[in-house]
Amino acid sequence: MIYSLKEITKSYQSRQGVVRALDELTFDVRPTERVALLGPSGAGKTTLFRLLNATLRPTSGTLRFDGHEVSAMSSRELRQMRRRIGTIYQQHQLVPSLSALDNTLCGKLGSWSLFETARSAALPSKDNATQAMAALELVGLADKHRARADELSGGQQQRLTIARVLMQDPDVILADEPFASLDPALTETIASLLLGLAQNGKRTLVATLHDVDLALRFFPRIIALRNARVLFDKLTSEVSREDLKSLYAGDSDLEPLVDTAIETPSREPKHKQHRAQ
Amino acid sequence: MNPSINNIARNSTAQEWPQAPRVKLSRIGVAIAVAVGLIICWRAAEIRPTAFFEPGTAAALWAFIRGLFPPDLSLEFVRVVGAAIIRTAALAIAGTTLAIAIGFPLGVMSTPTLWQRGVLLAGEPPGVMRVAMAWLSRVCRALLGLLRAVPDLMWGLFFVVAVGLGPLAGALALGVSYGGMLGRVYADVFEDVDPRALEALHATGARRLQVFLRAIWPQAKPSIVAYTLYLLECCARSAAVLGFIGAGGIGYEINLSMRLFEYGQVLTLIMALVGLVAATDFFSRYLRRRLHANAPAGSLAHEHFENERGLRSRADGRTRATIVIFVATIAASFYVTGFFSETRTGLLSRIVHFIGESFPPELNAALLRQLAWPLVQTIGISVMGTLIGIAIGAALSLPATSTLIFTGDDEAGSRSLITRGARAFVYYAARLTLNMLRSIPELVWVLMCILAVGLGPFPGTLAIGLHSGGVLGKLYAETLEEVPARPVEALRASGARPLQILLWGIWPQARPTLISYTVLRWEMNLRVSTILGLVGGGGLGQAIYNNVQLGFYSRTTTIVAIVYVLVITMDWMGDRLRSRRTAI
Repeated sequence: MIYSLKEITKSYQSRQGVVRALDELTFDVRPTERVALLGPSGAGKTTLFRLLNATLRPTSGTLRFDGHEVSAMSSRELRQMRRRIGTIYQQHQLVPSLSALDNTLCGKLGSWSLFETARSAALPSKDNATQAMAALELVGLADKHRARADELSGGQQQRLTIARVLMQDPDVILADEPFASLDPALTETIASLLLGLAQNGKRTLVATLHDVDLALRFFPRIIALRNARVLFDKLTSEVSREDLKSLYAGDSDLEPLVDTAIETPSREPKHKQHRAQ
Repeated sequence: MNPSINNIARNSTAQEWPQAPRVKLSRIGVAIAVAVGLIICWRAAEIRPTAFFEPGTAAALWAFIRGLFPPDLSLEFVRVVGAAIIRTAALAIAGTTLAIAIGFPLGVMSTPTLWQRGVLLAGEPPGVMRVAMAWLSRVCRALLGLLRAVPDLMWGLFFVVAVGLGPLAGALALGVSYGGMLGRVYADVFEDVDPRALEALHATGARRLQVFLRAIWPQAKPSIVAYTLYLLECCARSAAVLGFIGAGGIGYEINLSMRLFEYGQVLTLIMALVGLVAATDFFSRYLRRRLHANAPAGSLAHEHFENERGLRSRADGRTRATIVIFVATIAASFYVTGFFSETRTGLLSRIVHFIGESFPPELNAALLRQLAWPLVQTIGISVMGTLIGIAIGAALSLPATSTLIFTGDDEAGSRSLITRGARAFVYYAARLTLNMLRSIPELVWVLMCILAVGLGPFPGTLAIGLHSGGVLGKLYAETLEEVPARPVEALRASGARPLQILLWGIWPQARPTLISYTVLRWEMNLRVSTILGLVGGGGLGQAIYNNVQLGFYSRTTTIVAIVYVLVITMDWMGDRLRSRRTAI
């Protein structure tokens, strides 16, 4: 098992008292599996996500990564673990004033010695630079390698993060809403990049999604979160319409959408349109 | 394991990646010029590192340090200190209020996006009114420049001559010089707001006042409040220093005790000053927190505020009481400073006489030749002092950056009490040192450095270095803390070490701000170095002091004109340096 979660609970102190963002989550993820985390907003997806990349500690329960318990790790072991996990956040994850090339190089930081770090700040080694250029070429940004990250368009920035993950060469890819702010065409591009990366490289892919349709199309397994709990954890082929209805039940905004998603697969994140009306 | 990027790289037909070195050869010329400049500055500031190793130095320092203890805490002296604190605090508050009254209107008037150029004016028909307003705006900006260029102590010197010895002269000096500074900052903040909001409102046909109130002010408010509160801290320090030229308060007492070799009293006074500055700091921090006026949205510090948002809603009932206290404090300050006392006889004629005497400025070759070397010395002191400040500030800012030192409570992984304790110790020690360096004003540092290394520009340079080290260290630490958090978290999540996060995630984002703060500090240090001479620290200050004492006001005007030209030239250079640096 690459991930093994046992009764993971995460609670926050707030003015109204203790709020549970995650309530006794238990599931495993096998290596090379592709898992979609679904759920209405506020279900705890992002919190779970941050637990998985070890930037947040659970309030109780045990989280094991590749057999090792995360909460017992020293900061050094933690870094080694994070090195094996490539994270793609929703937005604003690039260092804005660095070039695309430098941002790609950032993916390698975890495996660099301090000497290499200092050296690369002035001039990256040829190996690293060639690797980074190859990664940029793969995502179609080779000609933009000198551009600052904040000069790139939204889609280009998202591709650049994928180049950074390529550079990092992780065993696990975590993607938090990777398609959230993309138009349909770009969603296709990024999805095929990401899935290709996972399938060809035999990597594990865990992605949070708000788009049911995308989850059904690309991910063999779906874990649905609702009210901080696992509502269902099934193979995609076994997910029924009732499952999805119960997942978004009470969220009147989304209910009719679930129908269309099952019946007529479409590429657009529909509930966004729906809200706009 | 899997087809790694290495294989892809090998198989790809990717062209050689362009091996452009990041340091260009053409910059070598600039480097040589900078080196020559630095050597001249070094010589002008008469820097003698050996001075620290002379036997006399150690003895003098030892005598001074031994004299500091025990601090004089006798009842009558504590009473003196108490009165001095109240006077200084009142001076600071009155000065800040005056500075806002002067700075705000001038700041609005000199905002280029309102009157000179930009979306609001692009579509306007050219007309007499428009041209006139554009010119008025430029005049206001120049006036702010003049107010700012002449250091507060120099203003103090003139107001002492004009309205007589006492706190009133001090308050006026603070108001005028900090008004100039505040006005410029206000104008910059108003100019730097997101122009899209302006454009949107302008397109709906809003008037300029409406655009200002609805588009500019809401965006600018957090920075404006934060800077104004920061100014209050500056004024508190400055108010103490103005005592040196007779405005009363802590500075006056320090100067007196120093001259009487009563070092025990000096320590008490310095503790009082540090306490006063710390109290102001605490007060302004508290207000900023209450007013949400610190960090830009999306930064780490902002998230802390977000979490505390709940604290605010409770305070509504107390708001009215707060306002009453606020107004009462300001009124009391003006009273203590002597604004409401009866008009002194002949005050007006005195002012007129002083202004009459000051013009026309004396301009002869002999005087100018005489002033040339002090001028170079002034520049040298400011440059070398700032370099010392950068070194001290940079060294102390890293341990003082909470986001680097502490990991969050929520951070994954194991933790040990010992490392946490050690980290906390390092952090608080660094913060304490920075606060100490910062709260002792340059002029007091000069007096202490003179004890160690003797009279001249060298103690002045050291004093500037020590004080700006404290200021820059704090600013650096805050900048590093307030860098947008998400890219940093992304790097941490990919397994980067703290040092790597600093170099690749924090530094590139913080660099423009750090450079801009440093250049701004250097500009301030230039002003300070023109007045160090008042207490024997070299530079132009000595010449001014002598001429004022001797009543040669027309010569003073010449020197002030030189200071003004010097400061605006350096400001202009600083602006160019900053815009080039921040553009990278």
